[in-house]
Amino acid sequence: MGLEDDLKLAESLLEKITISTSRPEENRVDIVIEAASIKTAAKILLRDGNWGYLSAITAMDSPEYSIDETTKEKKLIPGCGNVEVLYHFCRGAAVATVRVSLPYADPSIDTICDILSSATLYEREAAELLGVVFRGTPNTDRLILPESWPDGVYPLRKAFTSLKDIQTPEEGVCS
Amino acid sequence: MANIATAVMDNLKTWARVNSPWAIHFNSGSCNGCDIEILATLTPRYDVERFGIKLQGSPRHADVLICTGPVTLQARDRLVRIYEQMPEPKFVVAVGSCGISGGVFQGCYNVVGDISEVIPVNVYVPGCPPRPEAIIHGVVELLKSLQK
Amino acid sequence: MTSPMSPEKFIVPIGPQHPALKEPGHFEFTVNGEIVTNASARLGFVHRGMEKGAENRTWVQDLYLMERVCGICSHVHAMAFAIGVEQLAKVQAPPRAQAIRVLIAELERIHSHLLWLGVAAHEGGFDTLFMYSWRDRETVMDLLETISGNRVNYSANVIGGVKIDINDAQKDALHKGMDFLEERTRHYYKVVTEDETFLGRTRNVGKMTFEQAEFLGAIGPTGRASGLQRDVRVDSPYAGYPQFPVKVVTATAGDLEARFVVRIEELYESYRLVREIIDNIPAGELAARVPRRIPEGETISRVEAPRGELLYFLKSNGSDKPERVKVRTPSLCNWASVLVTAVGHKLADMPMILAGIDPCFSCNDRVVTVTDHSNSNQMSWEALRQYGIEFYK
Repeated sequence: MGLEDDLKLAESLLEKITISTSRPEENRVDIVIEAASIKTAAKILLRDGNWGYLSAITAMDSPEYSIDETTKEKKLIPGCGNVEVLYHFCRGAAVATVRVSLPYADPSIDTICDILSSATLYEREAAELLGVVFRGTPNTDRLILPESWPDGVYPLRKAFTSLKDIQTPEEGVCS
Repeated sequence: MANIATAVMDNLKTWARVNSPWAIHFNSGSCNGCDIEILATLTPRYDVERFGIKLQGSPRHADVLICTGPVTLQARDRLVRIYEQMPEPKFVVAVGSCGISGGVFQGCYNVVGDISEVIPVNVYVPGCPPRPEAIIHGVVELLKSLQK
Repeated sequence: MTSPMSPEKFIVPIGPQHPALKEPGHFEFTVNGEIVTNASARLGFVHRGMEKGAENRTWVQDLYLMERVCGICSHVHAMAFAIGVEQLAKVQAPPRAQAIRVLIAELERIHSHLLWLGVAAHEGGFDTLFMYSWRDRETVMDLLETISGNRVNYSANVIGGVKIDINDAQKDALHKGMDFLEERTRHYYKVVTEDETFLGRTRNVGKMTFEQAEFLGAIGPTGRASGLQRDVRVDSPYAGYPQFPVKVVTATAGDLEARFVVRIEELYESYRLVREIIDNIPAGELAARVPRRIPEGETISRVEAPRGELLYFLKSNGSDKPERVKVRTPSLCNWASVLVTAVGHKLADMPMILAGIDPCFSCNDRVVTVTDHSNSNQMSWEALRQYGIEFYK
């Protein structure tokens, strides 16, 4: 099957749970789904549809900013934002990214380790660095941050600058 | 009489130490560039053993600690413990730019940087990574300084 | 300098930790008698915080940062990053640059596979093979130094192309080097496939079936040794690979022996490719212009590092610094698949099985915790390695 066929196949396999889909690059499809559908998506691509393999999980901070009217400066609104979790599946040259958005207030999503046990390392990394909670994930031991790292401090969130500057998050007014 | 005996013993000890230092290697979080060049010093082209340097596994028998990396927070405690386990007199060679200032990782959240913030350092071998000849030179410079 | 190195004279500094130090294990094996029933890993000793660091540096500075994710495969990291930025900027590096990127990538693969051959041999107690392969590896180190000025961290990439060129004298040296290495590699192939002691440690050991490999997402030589036709250079060719294609090298047995054979056969492919590139390198510029501010967008860049697929996800917010740089190294993928397949194998096979995935060498001070139902016991990596050697005597 060619590249275009592979991309179309991914889109059609996930059609029922797709919120929106786009083609950001010629070899990529980006499919937005509800967090609640992640197990279904993984099962369809990895088992039923045998579409490809899970290559990586990227977790990404998507905080809210306020823009000062005079200086036009962007400032983080503390405690407001989302964490996006991107699951990258590969089949030949095609990459299908399944994308979910989790609010800071409840950044939780089902584990896919019951479908693919090797996903545990990717889930642990996203949990430690960005604060994603994977419900049912088999291992929540620290993977890469040191034992001495304070709980609840997620270094890849934009609000984190250094261990010396940790402030208790004041709640801003979120949109 | 006692003074001469002490001086002779000191010389002998220095000579023994200088001519047959036992080294231990520790990676405190390096990218491995320095570590593979240290390993290369054991292989036939560089053959560091002909200088009497023996790389072995236990801190308790080591005179010299050869340390690479910018000291990650995770590695810091272990580095201190290894240093403490070494008997006196003991010396540290920091190999690579990471051990001087953190190298390219300076300022990264999980990194201390300069090894001397954690344990005393006697010799720094700069480079990213330094080539095997430079590493050997660093160790030999250390040995020469012990002869004084 | 060919003084024979007797094995007692030195200990390679892989993992000598005093067993009395109560450290959390890097690897934890649960055993029932001799058989491993569970395996898990704790990484983090090399976690530096690079992805965050990348957000505070410009795209150009990040090239130098990403080179140092791993000193053994620094070129593929920089290349993956540069290609990603070029994709965001919608700029193509010129053909000569793409060819030089491939040339250096293949020379890097050669140094990496020879390095691994020596280290894996050492894990099994075959120190003569370690010494020979590392001596021969100096040939490719010299070639890389002649071309780039450095033995490690060649810094050949710029965003938009490369900054080093190849001249005729270097082409000659490359030809001679490839000829020498090819002849030496034939010798290693014989050892790996015919030496009885070696085969005792590798044949039928650490088997991963095709189905397991496919499902777990095994990549690189580990996956290919189980029959998986998976190689980013072929599946999704990048840089100069469309002009200089490679053949996928696979084996079917899926055991340790197969992983050795695949990597050695990949060396032959690399030698062939290097010769082909220097004989047919296109003329032209070395780099295209790329703006300092990179247009907004997200991109994925995948390359075939010596250990397998390396994936970069980049997001730009339109400025001169990245919004997000995500690096998924092949070793992370390989850990995952090997931890699953370690179960059911003998503890004595663990050093070779772990070496067989060509783990990023960086976990030098590996401590191993072995738990069986009656007691829990910590071993240094060196002790586990010796245990394996003694078991098979």
